[in-house]
Formats: sequence, structure tokens, C-alpha cells
Amino acid sequence: MGKIVSTTVQKEAAEAIVNSISELDGVDAEVVERVSGTHPRNVVVANSSPESWRGLAEKLYSDHAVDHCSMITGIHWPERDDVRKWEVVYHLLRTGVRDPPSEDGVVQPIIVNPSTVRGFGTPVEIEIHVDLPDSRTPSIDSVQDIWIGADWNEKETWDLVGIDFDGHEGMRRVLLPHETPRGYHPLQKQHNLRYHGFEEMYDDAQGFMRKPEDVGKIK
Amino acid sequence: MAEMWISMGPQHPMTHGLWTLKVKVDGETVVDTEPDLGYIHRGVEKICEARDFTQITTYCDRLCYASANTWSHSYIYAAEDLLEVEVPERAEYIRLIAIEIQRIASHLMWLGAYGPDIGNLSIMVWCLREREMMMDLLQELGGSRMHYNFPRIGGVKRDLPYGFAQRARAKLKLFLNRIQEYEALYDESTIFLVRSQGVGYAKPEEMVNHGVTGPNLRAGGVNYDVRWAHPYSVYSELDWSAPVERSSIKGADCYDRYRVRIEEMRVSASLALQALDKIPGGADTHYEPEDPMILAKAPSRAPEGNTGAHHFEDSRGESMFYIAGGGEGRGKQPYRVSIRSPIFITIPFAAKCMIGYKVADIPAIMGSFDPCIGETDR
Repeated sequence: MGKIVSTTVQKEAAEAIVNSISELDGVDAEVVERVSGTHPRNVVVANSSPESWRGLAEKLYSDHAVDHCSMITGIHWPERDDVRKWEVVYHLLRTGVRDPPSEDGVVQPIIVNPSTVRGFGTPVEIEIHVDLPDSRTPSIDSVQDIWIGADWNEKETWDLVGIDFDGHEGMRRVLLPHETPRGYHPLQKQHNLRYHGFEEMYDDAQGFMRKPEDVGKIK
Repeated sequence: MAEMWISMGPQHPMTHGLWTLKVKVDGETVVDTEPDLGYIHRGVEKICEARDFTQITTYCDRLCYASANTWSHSYIYAAEDLLEVEVPERAEYIRLIAIEIQRIASHLMWLGAYGPDIGNLSIMVWCLREREMMMDLLQELGGSRMHYNFPRIGGVKRDLPYGFAQRARAKLKLFLNRIQEYEALYDESTIFLVRSQGVGYAKPEEMVNHGVTGPNLRAGGVNYDVRWAHPYSVYSELDWSAPVERSSIKGADCYDRYRVRIEEMRVSASLALQALDKIPGGADTHYEPEDPMILAKAPSRAPEGNTGAHHFEDSRGESMFYIAGGGEGRGKQPYRVSIRSPIFITIPFAAKCMIGYKVADIPAIMGSFDPCIGETDR
């Protein structure tokens, strides 16, 4: 029984995905080698234009069996130039998980041997950056119908960062209270968080005197 | 009969924390559900933007109160990816020991809390008895009982204390014997079997598409595990395989999710024991803090435009950090920290699993997914 997936197999699988998705318009992909602790890992890192993102997602799901949406991150970059003020980062995984078959009514568990995985069973890590232009209400195509796991990730991104997802059904606040004012998204960079030094904490341990810098401004 | 919405929570034993499950019922049957989270949202992601990379570790400890060590390690691996640090091998072994002992403690907390959920009250104190042993071991490493702040960027805070290996081996071996007692308590309890078998079916492909990972997925008869699929640490050096449960045709039920966690505790204990035997330099030697054997030099500033991400097998599934670092004038602090909480994604799926079952099955189904609201709300 092998212990972990082989690095070379994972690299080949990543390169196959890169070669395939680079053909799409507006997509620019490469394999990046990163190190976690002492172990090297190969990650597919791609930049996509907002227009081609939906096509890229469908291609990854149908042609490359990318079946798991790990995380969606929204970032507000106020100091960047106008065409990339907002960024959405998608972390996708190919897990290769299949429903176990049943023989005579008894389910046979699928025990994958990590050292012999090949083809679509090879786990691959994918990171996709999509830059969005300057806007008060940035938005990007939703992938909720492709990966259902993206549903609450997208809700959270809208809730905290304010990036909307076109075609997302049932968008609502998930972490902030439901009565939060419209247009208030705390992870946008105009809401500053000050670091409170030790002396300040000592003088005002309960924080009654502290106020956020945007106090009094319309939210 | 007329359908109606009722709220379970925010104060309800089923919730294991503070959140609301709105349930639409037709008589005793659940027709529709909607979870409502955010009661203990602390804004950790925003707080992290105003802290140095080293200061964030303590906040990550406090994400999950039952499994603090795995969360701070999850952050540390992402930060090392961002700051481009190579970790000494001895430190990786010490981390593995800390993570696996924490995984046992977390599963024991779950096992102890799940029993009272469905009417088996005596199991709670039995599990906490063994959890106490694990907490003692972790306290020796990190110095505190719940929030250890043990890993450092580039290594670990302290080496294994004198005599730790001997005590750890004795406690883990005793624990491996005592697992049989839990199995006896659960598997021979009719009330437990009746309430956990045949409810809350979930199929693996569906779970992956919904973003459910970890023990909940492995209960469905597949051995997907981040520890071998996206390897980190020194799992490649040890002899192990991810525990799998044989599910039924309809998928994994609550009983399978309980079985897989029992097996996972065995695997974790065996991993920790193997790591104690194989650790470079020997488990009985003790290096001073900041020795290059256990702590590599790490820069405090991130390179401009660099990002760090890491997938990590938490006790509850795949956790992940994504850090966008640096930028003009803020090189010591991250620009954006994003956290993937496995249970935040699992709760909507678990809520869907309940549809079609009775109201009395809700605690059994929800509890079997091991919710932890600290990490969910962040």
C-alpha cells in the first residue's frame, strides 16, 4: 500500500491541465512548484479574464473532472490600476472520488492506492485568479450550478467583500447579521482596522474609548 | 397537515455551538431546512490584516476550541508557502506528533458529545477521561491546555520535553486499548444503534460536489485524504492508510460516520507512535528553543506580490488558508487572509441530509457531522 501520491505523476497531471486550458481565450496558465514544509507540490496557477471564467470552469468540470471547489476568496485592491481593482481567487481540487460500486447488494469500498493513481484519479490543486475592473458593484459569473460547494463560498464572498455573483440563487448575508446596511462589506479596504498597541490596551482595556476610523461615515 | 417553520437554536443542544437551524415540518417530518450562521462571527480575517505574520498564529488557535493545534498548523503551512521557508525535518516530525494527538483529542470530544445527543449519557465521561491524557501531552508541548500556540513559522516553539516520548508511548498504547471500551459502549447500546443506523444517508460523489471532505467523506467508502493527495509534513515516511468505512448502497449513515472516526483515532495513534520511533535525532534528545534542528530562520516580510495557500487535513475535513502578502509599506502584515472552514461548507449539506427524516433524527444527523461553530463563523 503506497503512502502518498507521487510528485511526478501529479506534475504530469498538472501539465496536462495547463496545456489544455491555455488554449482558451483570455486564460494564461502555468505549473508552479511550491514547497510545503519539506515536500514539493505542483500547483496549476491560472489567470483568467472575467468573460472567459465561466467557460474555463465548465471545461475544468467536464473535461478534467475537477469535482471540488475548495474556497473562493475576494480581494479589494484600491491602490491597483482601474482594470484590476478587485480580484477573485478560486481554489479548486480534483479529488477523483467515485461512488463505490455494490456487488450483490454489498458495497465494495474504493481503496485507492496513492502510489499508483493515474489519469483522472490523480489529485490536482488548481488556483485561478480573476481580475475585475473598478466598479462600485463588482460582479462575476456564478459557478454555483457546477460545484454546489461554491454556493456558500460565494455567499460569504459577497457578504464580507461585496463581490456579487451573476446567476447565484438565494444570495443573502451568512456571517453578518441580516439587518446589516446595504452596501456594507467589512473586508473592503476603506474600512480600516487599527492595531492597538500595548500601552493603549493598558489604559483602556475594555476599549470604550476606541472608535474605528470610519465612524460617522455613511456605510 | 399544514406545514410550518420552526427554529432549532440558537440555544439548542443539537447545535453544538450557537447557530439556528430553521426547519419546515409537516407533522413530524422534515420538509425543508435552512441554516442561519454568524452568531459568533469575530472577523478573524479582518483582524489578521492588522497583525504581523507571527501574531496571527494565536488567532488561528482560537478558531476551533476542540482542535486548536490543527488550525494553527494549517495557517503555518500557508505562511511558510508565502514566506518561502524550508522547515527542518525534526520539526516536521514534532508537528506531526502534535497534529495527530490533537486529532485524537478532537475526535474524543466529538465522541463524548455525540453520545448524550442521542441518549447514551455514560460515554461522555469515559471519552473525557482519555481526552485528558491527550491534553496533558499537548500541554507538555505547548505549555497551555487549550490554545497551544505551538508551531512557529519555520519550525516549532520547543522541542519534545525530557521524558515526553516515554509518557506519550505509554498513554497512546493505553488509549489504543481503551478504544475497545468505547466500541463496546456504543455498539452494544440498542438505543444508539436504533437512532444512528439508517438515518442521514450521504453519497461520496454528492458530498465532494457539495464540498464535504474529511471523515464525513471517508465514511462513504472512499479513502480520499488530503494527507496523501496533497502531501505535507512527513506522512510519506510513515506506514499508514486512510481509514475507510463500508457504507450501504444508499450512502454513509450516522453510524458509518461514527465508525470511521473510531478507526481514524487508531490511525492517528499509530502515526504518532511511529513518528516517535523515527524522529531524526531521537525522541529522547532535547534541543534548546531556536536550535536550527527545530526552527529555521524565517523572514518577517513577505516578497512583493507573493501569495501562499495550503490545503490541510483538519480533524473535520479539508481546511485551508490563502494569504496574499506584502505590498507597499505593509510587508510585515498580510494584505488579505482567507480561511476555508470545512464545517462552514458542511452545515448546508448536513441540513439537506435531514430532509425526509423525523424531527427527532435532527440531533443524530447534525451531531454525526461534527460541527464546530468557532471555525464556522470565524
